[in-house]
Amino acid sequence: MGTSVQVTPLSGVYGENPLCYLVAIDGFNLLMDCGWNDLFDPSLLQPLSRVAKSIDAVLISHPDILHLGALPYARKHFGLSAPVYATEPVYRLGLLTMYDHYLSRRQISDFDMFTLDDIDAAFQNVIRLKYSQNYHLSENGEGIVIAPHVAGHLLGGTIWKITKDGEDVVYAVDFNHRKERHLNGTVLESFVRPAVLITDAYNALNNQVYKRQRDQEFIDAILRVLRADGTVLLPVDTAGRVLELILILEQYWAQQHLSFPIFFLTNVASSTVEYVKSFLEWMSDSIAKSFEHTRDNAFLLKYVTLIINKSDLENYAGVPKVVLTSMASLEVGFSHDIFVELATDAKNIVLFTERGQFGTLARMLQVDPPPKAVKVTMSKRVPLVGDELKAYEEEQEKIKKEEAVKKASIVKVEEVRATSSHLSESTKGDSMVIDPASATASPKGSSHFRGQMDILIDGFTPPSTSVAPTFPFFENTAEWDDFGEVINPDDYVIQEEDSNHMVVNGKSLDVKPDEASVHLLLDSTPSKVVSHELTVQVKCALLYMDFEGRSDGRSVKSIISHVAPLKLVLVHGSAEATEHLKMHCAKHVCPHVYAPQIEETIDVTSDLCAYKVQLSEKLMSNVLFRKMVENEISWMDSVAEKTNEKVLTLLPPPSALPTHKSVLVGDLKLADFKQYLSTKGVQVEFAGGALKCGEHITVRKISDSSQKGGTGPQQIVIEGPLCEDYYKIRGHLYSQFYLL
Amino acid sequence: MASVVTGAQNKRPNPNSTSAAATREGDQLIITPLGAGNEVGRSCVYMSYKGKTVLFDCGIHPAYSGVAALPYFDEIDPSTIDVLLITHFHLDHAASLPYFLEKTNFRGRVFMTHSTKAIYRLLLSDYVKVSKVSVEDMLYDENDIVRSMDKIEVIDFHQTLEVNGIRFWCYTAGHVLGAAMFMVDIAGVRVLYTGDYSREEDRHLRAAEVPQFTPDICIIESTYGVQLHQPRPVREKRFTDVIHSTISQGGRVLIPAFALGRAQELLLILDEYWENHPELHNIPIYYASPLAKRCMAVYQTYINAMNDRIRTQFANSNPFDFKHISPLKSIENFDDVGPSVVMASPSGLQSGLSRQLFDKWCADKKNACVIPGYVVEGTLAKTIINEPKEVTLMNGLVAPLNMQVHYISFSAHADCAQTCGFLKELMPPHIVLVHGEANEMGRLKQKLVSQFADSNTKLYTPKNCQSVTMHFSSEKMAKVIGKLAEKVPETGESVSGLVVKKGFTYQIMAPDDLRVFSQLSTANVTQRITVPYTGAFEVIKYRLKQIYESVESPPVEETEVPTLIVHERVTIRHESDTYVVMQWSADPISDMVSDSVVAMILNIGREGPKVTPIEEKTQEEMERMARKVVHSLMVSLFGDAKFGEDGRLVITVDADVARLDIKSGEVECENQGLRERIKTAFGRMQGAIRPIPKP
Repeated sequence: MGTSVQVTPLSGVYGENPLCYLVAIDGFNLLMDCGWNDLFDPSLLQPLSRVAKSIDAVLISHPDILHLGALPYARKHFGLSAPVYATEPVYRLGLLTMYDHYLSRRQISDFDMFTLDDIDAAFQNVIRLKYSQNYHLSENGEGIVIAPHVAGHLLGGTIWKITKDGEDVVYAVDFNHRKERHLNGTVLESFVRPAVLITDAYNALNNQVYKRQRDQEFIDAILRVLRADGTVLLPVDTAGRVLELILILEQYWAQQHLSFPIFFLTNVASSTVEYVKSFLEWMSDSIAKSFEHTRDNAFLLKYVTLIINKSDLENYAGVPKVVLTSMASLEVGFSHDIFVELATDAKNIVLFTERGQFGTLARMLQVDPPPKAVKVTMSKRVPLVGDELKAYEEEQEKIKKEEAVKKASIVKVEEVRATSSHLSESTKGDSMVIDPASATASPKGSSHFRGQMDILIDGFTPPSTSVAPTFPFFENTAEWDDFGEVINPDDYVIQEEDSNHMVVNGKSLDVKPDEASVHLLLDSTPSKVVSHELTVQVKCALLYMDFEGRSDGRSVKSIISHVAPLKLVLVHGSAEATEHLKMHCAKHVCPHVYAPQIEETIDVTSDLCAYKVQLSEKLMSNVLFRKMVENEISWMDSVAEKTNEKVLTLLPPPSALPTHKSVLVGDLKLADFKQYLSTKGVQVEFAGGALKCGEHITVRKISDSSQKGGTGPQQIVIEGPLCEDYYKIRGHLYSQFYLL
Repeated sequence: MASVVTGAQNKRPNPNSTSAAATREGDQLIITPLGAGNEVGRSCVYMSYKGKTVLFDCGIHPAYSGVAALPYFDEIDPSTIDVLLITHFHLDHAASLPYFLEKTNFRGRVFMTHSTKAIYRLLLSDYVKVSKVSVEDMLYDENDIVRSMDKIEVIDFHQTLEVNGIRFWCYTAGHVLGAAMFMVDIAGVRVLYTGDYSREEDRHLRAAEVPQFTPDICIIESTYGVQLHQPRPVREKRFTDVIHSTISQGGRVLIPAFALGRAQELLLILDEYWENHPELHNIPIYYASPLAKRCMAVYQTYINAMNDRIRTQFANSNPFDFKHISPLKSIENFDDVGPSVVMASPSGLQSGLSRQLFDKWCADKKNACVIPGYVVEGTLAKTIINEPKEVTLMNGLVAPLNMQVHYISFSAHADCAQTCGFLKELMPPHIVLVHGEANEMGRLKQKLVSQFADSNTKLYTPKNCQSVTMHFSSEKMAKVIGKLAEKVPETGESVSGLVVKKGFTYQIMAPDDLRVFSQLSTANVTQRITVPYTGAFEVIKYRLKQIYESVESPPVEETEVPTLIVHERVTIRHESDTYVVMQWSADPISDMVSDSVVAMILNIGREGPKVTPIEEKTQEEMERMARKVVHSLMVSLFGDAKFGEDGRLVITVDADVARLDIKSGEVECENQGLRERIKTAFGRMQGAIRPIPKP
């Protein structure tokens, strides 16, 4: 009778892999999120590749890689052509995040998973929605209404409510119930009794300290380092949580009139903030209010300098400063390079504000105790010079000629036109060629791990369940003598060389992060990627503080039990966290809790029976409603009458029906009842779980453990000897209920 | 079906009507313009359906001042209004809001879009500052505006909100930044209020959307009546040509325009024109509005409410950062030395800078005045459109009007073609015209009547305070869910359960399911009471049997102590020699039964221990006694009553004879009245002499 609902996880269950789930509603396939990780490991997308063509719509919930990273790749390689639905900020910031990742990757490798054009193409068919907008799907999705609602966590972050025939499926991952500086808390709690709730167990085992205390510790940690002439590195995401951090810093700097410079460095930093400024209506009430009253845009930054180029930091080399830079994983991007520079100095601190993705450098550094040294690969793109350039040009010439000949033989086209078109094509697509010599010549001979897995870490073995790429295990062979660890001066020689190159590199990439100028990067001069490995002694302080902006375990549990779904599906969380939450919810929330494996399809079709009837005016005029909270409720006796094929009408019964068993409606909380009784002048106290009223009367609630999820009526017992008090208290007890 | 009710008495909605009355009369939908009915200005439309009340817009009339400018608020009781929706920030749509919020007993909620709210604040502060009325005539002050800000809630385009069962959302209206058309859905009846709208995309705004659903009622503006706008490029060319030729002849151009809204569009046009004509770069363009300058931040922020063109430009530079336009603070700062273009407010030339400049320039025929938008009746701007020979200056002197006056409308109101097209796409069954001069509105009505001649569309043009009443027989649909819905009933089968009403949706369910499908829950209250009793338990049983038909006593092995169950409701357990325990589940009948049991037990106690159970009489003896009692009672009631041969009781009253069968209670009698009387009497006797039967 109900709407059929099936959930199939494609990635991101029993672990922290990217989120990607298939939800089929009456045969309409909705892809909930389409995430990838910072390593862009195609093996993670295998399950998606098998179903991509059958997908009818994609709903994206957050503008980060874990939620939308695979869109360009899936569109290009798997034929995912369904329309994508997202809020305006998710669209815009997601696009910027993808640009930033691409540009960072491209600078150090011949990244070819997707191109900027692929990103643009993937984002072109995004349909942008507003919060609480009921969007009616058409064609084979007829009857399905999707609506994004505030999720917190990231700007534009969405929990999706999918409705068909009055049954709600709510997809809520990475929500935050706490109101933050730039975001409102989620509205998840306003949904009551959806048919299905799909949520994550990511934070089920995490508990957070108070926000105020955490903010203070955060500021203290930063100031301590700054006052000791150190540099603070905050590896952040491109356009997500960093906004909150920027506001915290801005606010504190303004309060304390601090003059330490703060930099926000990503490939798209200035565009990000420019766009964020125009997203005020998506932010918290206080930001909106301050703008309405004084037109102070919270993101008109006074203390944070936006830079898109690492060379801009050169002038501040020895100055204590705060650098917020992408990526949070330290895998690639400016954060990677800056980390290498800062790590060797004990004055500095790397302050992580989110848990690193699995298998990334950030995650390695967050283990306790932190590793003493890490091996990293430094790669950079250098323009071809001298012989190499000549060789490249010759190569290009050769290709050109060959193709021109080929083409000429097939079609009769003007030779010149053919050549010129080929020239532009080949330089566009193929301009960057790795120099094989330099690749094989890289010091430790592990070049085959280059590309996306360019970080090799001491003492790291992935667990057997991991689907992340395995890393070679290196014995920590650091030798120690009387003066401490034996240092190989060569490491440092290389590193100096390194930073020199970086300057050249940075200058050559002096681009504005606009769509148009970004294309310049593709058409830049022939270049190659040079990379080498080095071991970085981690001397700087490492600190992790939770600024992820997700509800913690306790809150998640209380929110779920408040929402009280009829069926619950748990995804995205470590195996322990998932199991823990599953146990908890099965006991306290609802009996139907599912935690499916990858590609395991579970059927969460509600076993709810329902049919529609028409209420006749005659019947309704005799029904007297009583108001209870938001509802009005009444008992109704009626007889059915089929007026025609489809419509069933309820009419008043012709004769009095036998009286029904009376129903007490209401929710009695003993604590509230105690309060009520004491206002009525009854001596009342709790004794052994029961409420002792007056001298002799006890009121108890029997919790029936066999009733899972508390779906049955409450059992209340009032007992005592025959006395006046008894009837008085019974009267008070009755007053807490409606009798129907 | 629908009628326009005239006369002030019967159209006033009764604010005191109870909710019960409201449901019965609730099918009536009433629309009353409190302003903007057959006029332009002070938009305010009242709507009520099913006891829910919505007010659209809350403007002032720009041609009047003080209380006279307000809509007719005294026609309604503000405290009954649930939701107030403001379409855009223009004074004639929003300026009486602080008054309504702060000076009336309005307790509902107010919604407007983000950008409207941001500009509303600035615009009204400015309005309060410049309006030159005495303190007593001031409708509100700056503090009222600030306080009102806290009460205003924001809604984003397409966002669906629900207040008190009223669902509403808004569409882009294309009139000014943040302008919205509201769709209100009350119990399935949809009403679209367009406010001011334009279906033409311009330099920075999107055109008004056509809603996805057809509304049942469309309340639509009719500002331009049956006029047709020239195509936008033509208007722009005329505009720039007039300006270009005037300044090239050494004249000055005055553009009286309202500070916000269309002015931004004109500035975009001018800035672009200057950019393309380097020869004009030495001619200054002034924009005399500090208010507009303050509002620029709003325009720069809410680009997402504008069209794609502006958003693409925004990626490179801010299009509202004008290169050739400089702000002008006041006339004192104005260095009037040569050709120039000045845009100044107010648009109607009533007072202020635009009037000062007009007075200064009107006598010179080289100068030009370009009126770029709709002008309200009663203002100087309206007067000069007709190009009179002379005008009266602000100082009272009369001066010749030599300057050229051009009227090139850029006001983003729909023209006749747009309105007709819009309504044709929507095909609403009811159309209410507001916001238009009576003549224009009448002409538009005629045009629409002919357009919709073959459809069932009804048109209304109510005057202020004139109500339009429509009836919608909404059929209440309910959803039967849960255990109750396991089987779909056939005709004649009964459906009984709890009806839960939330907003306008009804659900019917079994009591057990209440907790599953709603936030409510049911409870069972078990009562257990100890009653002192020292007598024999058998006595209780005996006495109970006299009162109640069903008194079960299950074997002691099952219950451990002697137990009685009365009518399967109340359990009495003889737990000790000194007391009995009674237990039952609370409900009115059980409570009553238990009360009687308690009273009985206490009575036995009072009678003392000497009471012992009398031997039970046989069924036969009981019957015999019953016959005797009935007989004697009948005799005392009717006089002549004796047993007949067939065992029936023959009662003779005067000439009428009735026969009563004591076993079945059937009465045979020709006299209707007597039969009924005997029946009733017999029923009462039975009640008295027999135990209470089990239901």
